Amino acid sequence: MAELKKGDKVSLTSGGYVTIEKELGRGGQGIVYLVDLNGEKKALKWYLNAPDDKFYKNLEHNIMSGAPSAAFLWPEYLTRKEKGSYGYVMKLRPQNYFEFGNFLLAKKSFRSYSAMLAAAMKICNGFMMLHRCGYSYQDLNDGNFFIDPTTGDVLICDNDNVMPQGEKSGIMGKARYMAPEIVAGGVPDKYSDRFSLSVILFMLFYANHPFEGAKVVACPCMTETFEKKFYGTEAIFIYDPADKSNLPVRGIHQNVIRRWPAFPAKLRETFIQEFSQDKLKNPNTRMIESLWEKLIAGIRDTLVRCPHCGEETFIEESSKCMDCGKDIDSTHRLKIGTRSVILTKGTKVYIDNDNIPDAEVVAHPNDPSKLLLKNLSNSNWTAETPSGKIKVVEPNNMMPVNPGIKITFSNTHKGEFIQETNN
Amino acid sequence: MSLLDEQVSVPRRTMTLFFLIDTSGSMEGNKIGAVNDAVANVLPMLDEISAENPDAEIKVAALEFSSGVNWLYSEPKLASDFVWQDVKAGGLTSLGAACAELSTKLSRSGYMQSASGSFAPAIILLSDGGPTDDYESGLNKLKGNNWFKAAIKIAIAIGDDADKDVLKQFAGNSEAVFTVHNIDALKQIIRVVAVTSSQIGSKSSTAGDTTKQDQVVEEVKDAVENIQGAEAATAVDSSSYDDDWD
Repeated sequence: MAELKKGDKVSLTSGGYVTIEKELGRGGQGIVYLVDLNGEKKALKWYLNAPDDKFYKNLEHNIMSGAPSAAFLWPEYLTRKEKGSYGYVMKLRPQNYFEFGNFLLAKKSFRSYSAMLAAAMKICNGFMMLHRCGYSYQDLNDGNFFIDPTTGDVLICDNDNVMPQGEKSGIMGKARYMAPEIVAGGVPDKYSDRFSLSVILFMLFYANHPFEGAKVVACPCMTETFEKKFYGTEAIFIYDPADKSNLPVRGIHQNVIRRWPAFPAKLRETFIQEFSQDKLKNPNTRMIESLWEKLIAGIRDTLVRCPHCGEETFIEESSKCMDCGKDIDSTHRLKIGTRSVILTKGTKVYIDNDNIPDAEVVAHPNDPSKLLLKNLSNSNWTAETPSGKIKVVEPNNMMPVNPGIKITFSNTHKGEFIQETNN
Repeated sequence: MSLLDEQVSVPRRTMTLFFLIDTSGSMEGNKIGAVNDAVANVLPMLDEISAENPDAEIKVAALEFSSGVNWLYSEPKLASDFVWQDVKAGGLTSLGAACAELSTKLSRSGYMQSASGSFAPAIILLSDGGPTDDYESGLNKLKGNNWFKAAIKIAIAIGDDADKDVLKQFAGNSEAVFTVHNIDALKQIIRVVAVTSSQIGSKSSTAGDTTKQDQVVEEVKDAVENIQGAEAATAVDSSSYDDDWD
């Protein structure tokens, strides 16, 4: 136990020092302090009980390597071992980001489906980059994310257990988020990360836990032995089509009961797959992050603004608005490879996975029945008309959504407008 | 949009924190004063832990025992709803009766009736003396209770007159018995034990962790090193759990 107090100076391995200003919060392992580093405000995570040398060296290594992506509140500086312990310095979390737990407790909620999808995309991208750098996160749980409810932007924190894939940090993870093989005593790795990721994504979309249904609620007292059973050896997905013994319970699992049928079928099918007994037992068959990204992009392509009520709605086979129930013309599409982006007035189009809209569908000023696509990006688009004319669409300019026009977006992605026939 | 607006909180299991407080005559004066002060001050902390915790909702129940036994409220309460009424010292030490009473309430027809289920409770026993009743029959009854078997059990011995052997039998092993020698240590340890027990379910575990009780004991032991006048037992043994809940 080595707590710090206001005014204490802690020296950094890179030279210089931070000065403690106040405590921001404390968790199981340590305390986070607001500190001053050469006039800049930073956060210091200070361990109450200094972990071993291997942990220290790993932190040092991760600081040298740098963050896998901008989503991570990654360790930036390491302190010297002094005052009975050590810690690391990272960026401060901005005010408009809230713990994922606050979303689960319904104290905060996503302002839009776009924000919800942006959060899912950012989380998947973060772990894709982390795994690409050869790391595994090891302790992925609801406490690791701060999310902006308006934009869906995500910051991933608690990056101190990040280890090279295959190495042990000694951490097992948090109950309810650990993969079954870890609950059974295995060593966390990128495959168990992927299980925890799918649990987090499920909770982000449906706001209930994927394994907590009738069977789990019926257990009066969740002991450690039962935890091992319900989240390990005998885990059953609440919507497992092959085993209906753990269905969600009305009055208790309200969110998932409402959202499961309303959200896109592709999402349902993916979770049914990912939480099938087969995938629970075969960690290396779990979906990789880039496929999650593809799925989320595909779902975002079907999220449109209802031209009647102005709310967001997902369009599937039925083209009725989830909110007002009116028919929506979903025949105007932008094909990008295998993707089919539905274009309705007011819909924003995301060409890549960076969560920044690249285009917006607007109504023609003189003929509201016609649609235009506005270039929201910083670079020119090149369009080729059906007769072979080449046009350039500069940022903030618009082009007609006419079938047959081919577009090259920012020199990378190629697309074409099509009009589907109403079925 | 409307679906997002209609979101309700995830269901949370309830973790009930029980305080069993010896209010016999020997507790009179500073000791009972310190207990009253410490519990009243720890309630807002428990409220905060509960409010921010997507895993568990923390509730509090308190049983005082002297010549008889008395629950401060007739059901577990959220810390925010629990108005601490100072307990007064006087009378004998009916630990056996307290154990029997706790056992009655550790059941689904008693205090453990949360709709979305419970976690195993945490039970903190505070005593400065030895039982004056037939404690064994009460304790044996309690030890047969499955909720009790799975519970986190910590005993705090106030001063050297506390019957540590009995406290050890209650908590399951001597490691879970902490002794305090002054008022300040008593206040601090009540806070540490209550806060640690309430947080343990939401923490990541590390390889080699055994039970939640062991984790709580370890954390409290670390904390005790910095509390003047508090000590942890040195003997090592581990309690075993039986999960026969059918």
